[in-house]
Amino acid sequence: MQPLRHDINGGLSREIRINIVQGSCRVTDNDDVVMSTVLGSCVACCLFDPLARVGGMNHFLLAEPREGTVCSTAEAERYGLYAMELLINEMLQAGAIRSRLRAHLYGGANLHAGMQAIGTSNADFARAFLLRDGIPLAHSNLGGVLARRVDFRATAGKARCRLVAADVPAVTRGPVLPRGGGAVELF
Amino acid sequence: MAKTILTVDDSPSMRMLLRHTLVQQGHMVHEAVDGIAALEWLATNDQPDLMITDINMPRMDGFGLVEAVRAQRGGGEMPILVLTTESSDAKKTRAREAGATGWIVKPFDPDKLASAIRRVTL
Repeated sequence: MQPLRHDINGGLSREIRINIVQGSCRVTDNDDVVMSTVLGSCVACCLFDPLARVGGMNHFLLAEPREGTVCSTAEAERYGLYAMELLINEMLQAGAIRSRLRAHLYGGANLHAGMQAIGTSNADFARAFLLRDGIPLAHSNLGGVLARRVDFRATAGKARCRLVAADVPAVTRGPVLPRGGGAVELF
Repeated sequence: MAKTILTVDDSPSMRMLLRHTLVQQGHMVHEAVDGIAALEWLATNDQPDLMITDINMPRMDGFGLVEAVRAQRGGGEMPILVLTTESSDAKKTRAREAGATGWIVKPFDPDKLASAIRRVTL
């Protein structure tokens, strides 16, 4: 059994922490689950359905190519779109209703002055996606020059976001694509 | 050669990206937001050369759409590609049994998509 801990709202709960690493996505209907991530220029989208009590988080790199490489707008959109599609699909499969989805957005910082404003483009993409797809943005904490730690109690749709000076995990790999990503199989 | 393609996806963002990609490849694109909207479009327009559909959609999902199209008169001829984030073999089998022509995993590669379109619309 999980130990009792102070939860992100100050109460006590049996907390199950799930770390959402770069390129991943998780969805839960377990009230004890708190999803956590550390963001620099990446963006995390938290979705929840307050009636179904289903919530989830992704963490996407979007337009962030490997150093020295160029990622076209179309490529970046595919990665960002894939991350959002994956999260939405898993939410629907877990019992959420699309019209009830609410979102939080975090991250999108520009950590290194003088470099391309990757964080800004990530944040702009995420906001534009939600607007186009009609998903209300309940809360956001985007931009700036500092990293963030986000804890999301998914089923309740409640999050805590803190600015941190701690090192953000380096972007060491591109977006995680599904097995056989982009693969075509004709029957 | 330019084809007429009906794309079916509940995500406006994905429809926009598909339209952008397919128009760049020289095709004419029509859009529907879910399976019901696609059937309504097909009932009032000439049959397109190809349909590309998502799986997870409200009202009628991609499996239901493929089955409904195949049950219609003349619906057996049109190639249907399923474009989805799903990668499970069970769902792939279900799509094949419903009558889909092929399966493409998102995020799609524009060149692979173009190649698949050429092969199924010969």
